[in-house]
Amino acid sequence: MNIALRLRGIRKVYPGVVAVDGVDLDLLPGEIHALVGENGAGKSTLANIAFGAVKADAGSIEAVGTVGLVHQHFELVGRLRVWHNIMLGREPRKGAIVDVDRARSRVAELAERNGLAIDPDAMVEELPIGVQQRVELLRELEREPSVLLLDEPTAALAPAEIATLFSTVVQLANRGTAILVVTHKLQEVIDYTTRVSVMRHGKIVARYETAQTSVDAIARAMVGGELPQVAQREKTGVKPCLAVRDVSAGVDTTTISGLSFDVHAGEIVGIAGVEGNGQTALADAIAGMVPFTGSIELDGNAGALRHRENIAIVPQDRHHEGLVVNWTIIENAILGRQNLPGLRKGALTDWRAARTDAAAIVERFDVRAASLDVTVKTLSGGNQQKLLVGRALIGDPRFVLAYQPTRGIDVGAAALVQSRLIEARNRGSAILLISFELDEILALADRVLVMFRGKITGSFTGAEIDRGKIGRLMAGLT
Amino acid sequence: MKVVLRLLAGPAGAILLAFVLAAIAMLIAGVNPADGFYWLFRGSLGGRRPIAETLVQTTALLFPALGVSLAFRAGLFNIGAEGQLLMGGLLAGAVGAHFAGPQWLTVFVLLLIGMVGGGIWGGIAGWLRARFNASEIISTLMLNFVALSLAGYLVAGPLKSPLASGAETAPLLPNGWLPAFPSIGSISFGDTRLTISILIAIATAIVLRFVFTRTVFGYELRAAGEAPEAARRSGINMPRMTLLALTLSGAVAGLGGAAIVTGVLHRFNTSLSPGYGYTAIAVALVGDLNPLWVCVAAFGFGILEAGGLMMQANAGVPKDAIRVIEGLIILVLAARRYFATRATAAPI
Repeated sequence: MNIALRLRGIRKVYPGVVAVDGVDLDLLPGEIHALVGENGAGKSTLANIAFGAVKADAGSIEAVGTVGLVHQHFELVGRLRVWHNIMLGREPRKGAIVDVDRARSRVAELAERNGLAIDPDAMVEELPIGVQQRVELLRELEREPSVLLLDEPTAALAPAEIATLFSTVVQLANRGTAILVVTHKLQEVIDYTTRVSVMRHGKIVARYETAQTSVDAIARAMVGGELPQVAQREKTGVKPCLAVRDVSAGVDTTTISGLSFDVHAGEIVGIAGVEGNGQTALADAIAGMVPFTGSIELDGNAGALRHRENIAIVPQDRHHEGLVVNWTIIENAILGRQNLPGLRKGALTDWRAARTDAAAIVERFDVRAASLDVTVKTLSGGNQQKLLVGRALIGDPRFVLAYQPTRGIDVGAAALVQSRLIEARNRGSAILLISFELDEILALADRVLVMFRGKITGSFTGAEIDRGKIGRLMAGLT
Repeated sequence: MKVVLRLLAGPAGAILLAFVLAAIAMLIAGVNPADGFYWLFRGSLGGRRPIAETLVQTTALLFPALGVSLAFRAGLFNIGAEGQLLMGGLLAGAVGAHFAGPQWLTVFVLLLIGMVGGGIWGGIAGWLRARFNASEIISTLMLNFVALSLAGYLVAGPLKSPLASGAETAPLLPNGWLPAFPSIGSISFGDTRLTISILIAIATAIVLRFVFTRTVFGYELRAAGEAPEAARRSGINMPRMTLLALTLSGAVAGLGGAAIVTGVLHRFNTSLSPGYGYTAIAVALVGDLNPLWVCVAAFGFGILEAGGLMMQANAGVPKDAIRVIEGLIILVLAARRYFATRATAAPI
């Protein structure tokens, strides 16, 4: 059988780490091949080598036709329109001038053919993440690649968007494109792919025909043993803690209007919804980052929310909003908590206490780092996220706002973060969980609120929680 | 190759490279580089008087450079140290011409007044940024011209000394003069322009380092500079931080102006600074915004300032060549980041 992409003996060494260690991989036309593994296993590096963005130290790459790559972190120009991003560098011309009409119709035709709805004239920076990814995918499809690599394509997508994406991917495969999907969402692997390769520490440690394997088997191969168990929830008392009443606010183009709900002590309330339906506005209103109308009170007191010993926040974007990447673990461990009595002595930071504190976070949240004095930018994404969540939960805050707390981290790290959230709940913290992954909401929440277009369209408690109903409400159906 | 890159990535390598480039420039200008450098270093380090003069220049650069560093660490591009220096000097000169108590008290009060003058000037830019989000780059730069014109008007008019022929304030009463630098063994500095202001400048650097590394305020200031969005979300009051940082930055520069008035000129006039506030930006950047390294950088630039005159007089190198060397150092240091990335290239 002919092979669309043949990798042989690929090796790549970065200072201090062998990222890819002698990998052989074949992609066949028409197959959807999953590449799975923990954070730092070398999946993204391998994809980038196959694409040609990173040069391997050793090994050979043979590809038939062109190779396209949809990046995990999109590489789009925010201030250009959709059609221009897709046609960038290959704009049709009329003499020296870009033929906008032709470019637009090419993009519309491309979107139509692949079943990806898009407005060619939208400004990319104003689009929700899911739609931005469609733009990135269309840009690659425009080049008609014979091999398409997708690096964590569903990390930021809602269930409906994931289904749409994969229906496109399956169509492409049926037309003969060889597809490699880098992911750590194992259910997607089972649902949509034909073969699986599992990477660990730079090597491929297992290969399966998808039809002959299971989520459990793949997960065990990924972590090289048994999976950590997620903590059990215990019965907790129910005192109201956070009270949101008739709150309206707006961030960028998304708004929320007239939201009212409570979060009780010892309870996880999950906000289910597709990204861009007002979650950011809600989180920013609670965090006091945007003006809002209505009232948000903690134990009947609006001012209490502004005291950092009461409230802990896991922000959405760990690099931009959460961590100072050029700082050490210790410096980051106390950010937002620098004025707490235990970490401050008069006008001075108590660095000895900060070190102890950072060591406790690193230990309890399994942040893997050479020392507490390394800068955060040297940590892998999963370890950065564990540090971020650990910093929020370490002081047993009364209220926790967790926004996508397991975003972009592997199954082992995600299980640990989820366990710590449940443990904080068991100790009496009130937790508001905003996640675009319905599975995560269903696994953690005592109560689920569905957000659609800035309003709460459904509320489910305990036994009433129903995946199907929630999914329909998320899509705006009733 | 890697070794060469790594050497160039350090400050020492950068300065070495700058001197090599400067030597080439001198060759082109028809001057023997050995001659030029001989007079540069003899004029700055070759004896008691040259060293004293180098330290006077070092001091004049160090205060504004520390001020600039403070603002830059907070992520604020204060390029108005020149105006803040002038306003500090102006206020100290205006008060010092009329006020005198015991010497230590008088000097202390005049330096404090200098800080107030510079602090107000920096604070205006801080307030404009905090309140209206007006770019501090533009406002601090523009306030330099306002300061120069305002000071020029005041010393030519309301504050002009009736006894002086030029535009300057009345001389300070002698109790407002900074004490001369103390003798070291048998070496006395009484006949030079060197005063204890160099010690005050170094003490300021040490205090700033302490503030950056040990205090909660310094921690918050660095957070605001390194990652403004993360700082804001961690509960730091960013408008307040902006106002405070620019005020303090101006105050340190203003202290420098007062130090020149009380230590060197003993009066105020607008030729107080030949552009110290601008060179200070380079000094701060060369010193990596780290107060102690800024001291070293200020000494290096002090050598160039003080030695330049001798180089001009004896080797026939125009003093502008010193500006060329300064420019080359800055250029090479800016290129350091490039060399540094090449030396450790690891794209993750």
